[in-house]
Amino acid sequence: MQSSPLNFRRAVMWLGRLILGPIFIYAGYSKAFLPNSHFWPWFFFKFSLSTNIANFAFQVDAFKLLSPAGVQFVAHTLPFTEIVLGFLVLIGWRLRIFGTMLAAIMVGFSVVVTRAYLLHMNINCGCFATPQPIDLQKVLEDAGMALLAVLMASFAIIEARKPHPWSAPAETGAAPAVPAAK
Amino acid sequence: MNRRGMVAAIGGLFVAGLVSMSCLVSGSSLIAAPASPQTLASVADVDPHEGLGSKNAPIVMEVFSDFQCPACKSLYESTNRQLMDNYVNTGKVYLIHRDFPLPMHAHSKVAAQYSRAAAQIGRLEAVQEVLFQNQEKWEASGDVDGTVAKALSPAEMTKVRALVKSGAVDAFITKDQAIGNNTYRVSQTPTTIFHANGQTFPYAGVMSWDILKQFLDQLLVGK
Repeated sequence: MQSSPLNFRRAVMWLGRLILGPIFIYAGYSKAFLPNSHFWPWFFFKFSLSTNIANFAFQVDAFKLLSPAGVQFVAHTLPFTEIVLGFLVLIGWRLRIFGTMLAAIMVGFSVVVTRAYLLHMNINCGCFATPQPIDLQKVLEDAGMALLAVLMASFAIIEARKPHPWSAPAETGAAPAVPAAK
Repeated sequence: MNRRGMVAAIGGLFVAGLVSMSCLVSGSSLIAAPASPQTLASVADVDPHEGLGSKNAPIVMEVFSDFQCPACKSLYESTNRQLMDNYVNTGKVYLIHRDFPLPMHAHSKVAAQYSRAAAQIGRLEAVQEVLFQNQEKWEASGDVDGTVAKALSPAEMTKVRALVKSGAVDAFITKDQAIGNNTYRVSQTPTTIFHANGQTFPYAGVMSWDILKQFLDQLLVGK
């Protein structure tokens, strides 16, 4: 009997795509476009984007991990990287590659947030536009999402090595039937 | 259309939906803006002791701030001096300081009281500067009085202490908080409300001087 295409690994991959994809898209969007979101005219959009990025840079700097140049680099690239990665993971394109990248970022977040929690740093998580303190709940949430991301990426790599159940030819012991010659 | 393409299209629609939703929900509705003020007179409850610059300036900036907030310190240190020299003192901007002490900061209310009292005797700028410059110290020690005393003369300090002790300045702080909560729905500090060209533009968070300068110049051109 053919195995179901929805095995445990594929179920986890789907869960990962459906949960982590939109979360990453929203996280990136909120960092770049919230709370200041005037989009017109152009100089308003520039000012809104700049102040939002400046806010995010301030939150990154609060973790006391990076140099000023590093803080600026992360602040200017991470929001848009999150949006793109989240979208690519959501649609499942090249999941091995982009899922692995997302998992790496998620593990990084989890480590940094856990470090801040253990050091009793009274700072904002910086995950979304709304201020969120770093408490045990946030640490556990990030750890859970990191675990899901790692499983999703791992299973994507494992499943990619096997043929898709729908495309795998049925294997039987009998020789294929040959129509009788007329 | 194959499965991948369909998922890509759905994802694209989702992202486009997010972006278009933000275009409809402009920043000013995230923090509710009042009816467009045309002049300073239209800005609610301005304490003249907390206003700096010309009252006829084309741009009014209300800054909701908490003295114990690190972001407020960053905004003050990166923009205040240049803002004062290039825009407030030249009559382009009327700057209003609004006290918005956050509940999670243990000493910010006391700092606001001392700042407000100093404003009553015309020493707002000096006390603001000494409070922000020494934020880490008085945040840890709680010694707001000692910090403010570094910027004022003994006679001035006596007046300030009397004002703080009498509670005379508390009503001003409460009024600022009410304006922040009810009029602008301020949810974080610093929040800057720009009034220009008959419109109101709230902006939350820090901003660099270069970006602020460009924005102010554009607002001035737009008048």
